[in-house]
Amino acid sequence: MTELLIKNGFVFDPLSEINGEKMDIAIRDGKIVESVSDQKAKKIDATGLTVMPGAVDIHTHIAGGEVNTGRMIRPEDHVKDVVRKTAITRSGTGYSIPSTFVTGYRYSKMGYTTVMNPSMAPLGAKHTHEELNDIPLLDKATFPLLGDWWFVLENLQKGDLAGCAQHIAWMMETTKGYAIKIVNPGGLESWGFGRNVHSIDDVVPNFDITPREIVCGLAKVNKMLNLPHTIHLHTNNLGIPGNYLTTLETMKALESVPNDGKPICHITHVQFSSFAGENWGNMKSAADEISRYINNHNHMTFDMGQIIFTDTTTMTADGPFEFTLYQLSGHKWVNSDVETETSGGIIPMHYKRKSAVNATQWSIGLEIALLVKDPWKIFMTTDHPNAGPFFAYPKIIAWLTSKKARMATLAKCHKKAQKKSLLPSIDRELSLYELAIMTRAGQAKALGLTGKGHLGVGADADVAIYNINPETLDIAKKYKTARKAFDNAAYTIKDGKVVVKDGEVVQNVDGRTIWLDVKTREQLKVDEEMKRKFKEYWTVEYENYPVFDHYVKVPEAITVKADV
Amino acid sequence: MIVLTPLKKFQFPVHAECINPDVFKGKSVKEIAALPVWEGNKKKKLSDIFKIEETPAETPDITINGDATEVRRVGQGMKNGEIVINGNAGMHLGEKMAGGKITVNGTANGWTGSSMKKGLIEIHGDAGDYLASPYRGSTAGMRGGTIIVDGNVGGDSGCYLRGGTIIVKGNAGPFLGFHISKGVIYVEKNAGGRLGASMTGGKIVVSGAVDEFMPTFTVDGIKKKVKIDDDFKAEGPFYVFLGDLAEHGTGKLFVSQPSNPQFSAIYDKYL
Amino acid sequence: MSVINAVTCPICGCLCDDIEVTVVNNEVVKVKNGCAVCEAKYMGYKSEHRIRQPLIRKDGKFVPVPMKEAIHKAAEILANANYPILYGWSSTNCEAQRVGVELAEEVGGVLDNTAVVCHGPSLMGTQEVGIPTSTLGQIRHRADLIIYWGCDPWSAHPRHLERYTSFTKGRFEDSEWKSYLNKVKAAAGRKKVLSATRVAPKQQRATVAEEVVFNKPPETLQKEGRKLIVIDVRKSMTAEVADYFIKVEPNKDYELMQAIRALVKEQELDVDQVAGVPVEYIKEVVDALVNCNFGIIFFGMGLTQSAGKFRNIEVAISLTRDLNLRTKFLIMPMRGHFNVSGANIVFAWQSGYAFGVDFSLGYPRYNPGETTSMDILLRGESDAALVIASDPGATFPKRAIQNLVKHPLIVIDPHMNPTAMLGDVVFPSAFVGIEVEGTAYRMDNVPLPLKKVVEPPEGILSDEVLLKNILEEVRSIKAQKAKKAEVV
Ligand code: SF4
Ligand SMILES: [Zn+2]
Repeated sequence: MTELLIKNGFVFDPLSEINGEKMDIAIRDGKIVESVSDQKAKKIDATGLTVMPGAVDIHTHIAGGEVNTGRMIRPEDHVKDVVRKTAITRSGTGYSIPSTFVTGYRYSKMGYTTVMNPSMAPLGAKHTHEELNDIPLLDKATFPLLGDWWFVLENLQKGDLAGCAQHIAWMMETTKGYAIKIVNPGGLESWGFGRNVHSIDDVVPNFDITPREIVCGLAKVNKMLNLPHTIHLHTNNLGIPGNYLTTLETMKALESVPNDGKPICHITHVQFSSFAGENWGNMKSAADEISRYINNHNHMTFDMGQIIFTDTTTMTADGPFEFTLYQLSGHKWVNSDVETETSGGIIPMHYKRKSAVNATQWSIGLEIALLVKDPWKIFMTTDHPNAGPFFAYPKIIAWLTSKKARMATLAKCHKKAQKKSLLPSIDRELSLYELAIMTRAGQAKALGLTGKGHLGVGADADVAIYNINPETLDIAKKYKTARKAFDNAAYTIKDGKVVVKDGEVVQNVDGRTIWLDVKTREQLKVDEEMKRKFKEYWTVEYENYPVFDHYVKVPEAITVKADV
Repeated sequence: MIVLTPLKKFQFPVHAECINPDVFKGKSVKEIAALPVWEGNKKKKLSDIFKIEETPAETPDITINGDATEVRRVGQGMKNGEIVINGNAGMHLGEKMAGGKITVNGTANGWTGSSMKKGLIEIHGDAGDYLASPYRGSTAGMRGGTIIVDGNVGGDSGCYLRGGTIIVKGNAGPFLGFHISKGVIYVEKNAGGRLGASMTGGKIVVSGAVDEFMPTFTVDGIKKKVKIDDDFKAEGPFYVFLGDLAEHGTGKLFVSQPSNPQFSAIYDKYL
Repeated sequence: MSVINAVTCPICGCLCDDIEVTVVNNEVVKVKNGCAVCEAKYMGYKSEHRIRQPLIRKDGKFVPVPMKEAIHKAAEILANANYPILYGWSSTNCEAQRVGVELAEEVGGVLDNTAVVCHGPSLMGTQEVGIPTSTLGQIRHRADLIIYWGCDPWSAHPRHLERYTSFTKGRFEDSEWKSYLNKVKAAAGRKKVLSATRVAPKQQRATVAEEVVFNKPPETLQKEGRKLIVIDVRKSMTAEVADYFIKVEPNKDYELMQAIRALVKEQELDVDQVAGVPVEYIKEVVDALVNCNFGIIFFGMGLTQSAGKFRNIEVAISLTRDLNLRTKFLIMPMRGHFNVSGANIVFAWQSGYAFGVDFSLGYPRYNPGETTSMDILLRGESDAALVIASDPGATFPKRAIQNLVKHPLIVIDPHMNPTAMLGDVVFPSAFVGIEVEGTAYRMDNVPLPLKKVVEPPEGILSDEVLLKNILEEVRSIKAQKAKKAEVV
């Protein structure tokens, strides 16, 4: 029995409605408990420090084939950011696509304890899990890409939602996945022959189905299966001027899915889906329109996909979008289509303040995050590494909590972008409480991870302690001090163990991989017909397709009872 | 001036980016002696592998007397001052150099002047592969400054050149000036195959014979003389080629007419 | 008797996972579905010269020693080295490769795999321009133009055509097997005619050959359905099957590809032939390239190891990029060893780099020309080596081998290959994919499980376990050393 007592910190735990109260947090055997023995427990004196639940990242590309190909093609990215081996930690490289160990260390240093890898081709799922095993200090989950999977397209096209649900239940178990990821629905299958869909009512070649039908169908299936997270959607026409109309239409289409007041869809990296204008020359922010819709509806959650001004690497299953970036930039380009399932692409990208488009994108992310009134609806991400590397999060925290900070950056941006930016008109500065929602509580809630994102009794003892005294430090004014504090957590505690102290990793522990064991009333019949189809669709044998148990080093299966 | 003399012949690579006038500046011999270097996988002090002496001479700031073939990254990123190497130099000499001067009285190794921005490198012997070319995966080639090689240069030299001048008085290896967009490369003797492949701009001048010529250049005329820099014009006549067509390139490739009689049958009909 | 199905063949980059193996009394007695190479391996691996016990060279002779002694000796060599090389890794599983990275990091060594002598240039080309590619099923379902450049799958990847390309039926494209059979019949007929006229003088025969080289692209190149083009310096078995064979002059692939790129971009060329191929014919090939629905270039060591090396790959990929502005076009390396892709992948996720990873400064560095095992051996910089699951003794140039054997050499391999013969400490290991399970990555980076179908011989450990033991011993030697240093 190991006990730990975090004494006298300012606690921000929005799910328990605790807003900066001075109190103790007691931990026993990796869980938060009511109290521990004051004599026996190890103590951390958190007097004058901010205590929050361990941070949660709902969307970060950290593992798997696409990420690793990104690593392989960018030696020039790693060479400028190397990490030495220590007695406790392994060596590695950054920058925009850190090696696995470095990924774990850097997240943990910022007080993160749970992250979601949001994009996994099922055929490469073993690879993703092998990499997740090598990412220490974090709990992880991964989302299989299912929006363009032939079985989904065929079942939905037939209107067989139950059949579709059974296949998806099978796929969650088979890939050890956590949520349904949909990327540019219909567009990825079209990309198999170099085409794309351009509206939610375009018909997917060879399949007689539309993006609208895919998204709404899978949202319904998701509900039938009672999955803890909603469908996780990367919209059509992503990254293209004028696409906010597609985004609005998608959200409106989803109104038709019964929702009993709860979110039924998460739109990820919404910044990339909120462009107004007709072309790159007159591209502008649609933050106003998008946030207005969000403020008036409750069936969706979002994350930012905030741009960071730096040299990074874009990588997404949205093959046609990466092709567009290739045409625009001429940069090195990876395309990686996956049979019967999905596609993918990679392009290095340097976001520059002096680019009107990039600066506008930067502004859009912050505008939406600040204009959406309810912090439970929108979460902080960079869609790592697409809009910037995750270790830039403290910069975003500064922009969100300090008008001074964001105006200082805006002042250095392209004049055209400055003139169009809504940021000067927005005075909102997030409080630590709201920040705790956007960086942990809200993310955990949207993911349906009941043991994460809070410090209530029974929660996983994942805690972040920052060197911020809310009574003496005005983070809106002293944003640089705050940024430093979020860069280097005073303590990060994972499952009750101190893993980071003063921004240094002091202990190396493995996190868990969380996956869904979905119990449908009727299990998918893997009969000869299914096996025959399997042989036709894929080039690997049915027997070799699943992620076997030994591929997950520290598994945590969540059993879900489905309604089908 | 600081004089460094290798204490032995090195078998393992030595990483010594501290050998740089900007780093030495204002330091006592004792402080210089304590600067960190790596020999193989062992971290050492500069004085563990070099004899270090100070002489009253003002220039050059640093002299290396002896074989430094295995000593890498000398003068990396230097902005000021002068280094003279009396002997052979190791890889990455003057990489990303931004000013000052380096002289090698011997042979230089790969990636000399890699992605250099400013300054002067003179090599009074041969140079290795990747002279002035950027690191793997990067297209940030040399941007400015001058490199003069008295001997031959290896393959893939001057890749992605964006500015500055490279003068080679001997022969050049294959893929000289690969994908250059600006700047000037001059070769006094012969050039290897795939000369100027994928060039999109800039200027390459070869006074000698060209080994194998890319089919993706189009002949544009004959020129008597070509300007290399302010005080040097190369004497022709030269065939003038434009390309690389595969990149819709507008680079100019000047190849000596008398040294390349094999061109006449192919290209003279277009002139 | 047990029949094990869906076994993954641990030989070439095709990584066929549909093999059926029958085992009786721990002996493989029957192999179904595999190609001849696969069958020969499963049936014959036991008769290969197997090492039964760890060996240490003492006074020039191999002496069998207990495992513990060999482990200690190997660990000592690595722990004391200033610049050791840890080379090989292509014919073992990812589990062993993972331990390999950790070991290399621990001893401050250079971690390198056989890509350095095969597809390292492919990875380097990819680092310059990226790579538009896909998994093999995508080719099976959609490709209507298949190009093999500088490779001969018929011999080196025997089931590539039947499983993934021309001779397989996909959702949107049919197998060309039937038309191939017709062609074979026709060819057999031609041969009859030829043998009847064998009296033809030598001179004349040369002209016939010449005609084959410069023959005009056939009409069928522009037809609907699957087409196969082979480009190589000699007419390979695969070329015999192809719709069109282009015989390129040796070491002129770069010129040919760059010329094709220019023509794809609708540029005119001043020359009338490139690499021995008339430009008017190249133009017809270009038409076939831009008019297909879905094209793919597979390339092999004919490109990666001929003059130009990684620039050949870079230009091939650049061509593929250009073609995507006209139609769908992809490209893929024909990786040789069954898990060389896995080595690249594992190295990359742990260190950021796929091969030639130098840990001597305490963090990973990579720069082919400087940090690969070949570069280091040619310059004679290393002072120890561990070779595993490969045979540089048979594939490296003489000077590199000389420098390899100058210093202590540890070899881990199931059998006594030429490198093992040169070793100072030799460990026998179990055959991965036959006696040991694990993971391997196919040439298109698809992970597949390897199966254990028979037990390894008594006392023979897997690569993974051996490496873990060595790593542990290295750590304890280093800890002792550190203690001693403290006392002093
Ligand atoms: S093609 Fe290669 S992997 Fe397939 S059975 Fe033959 S040797 Fe094995
Ligand atoms: Zn994403």
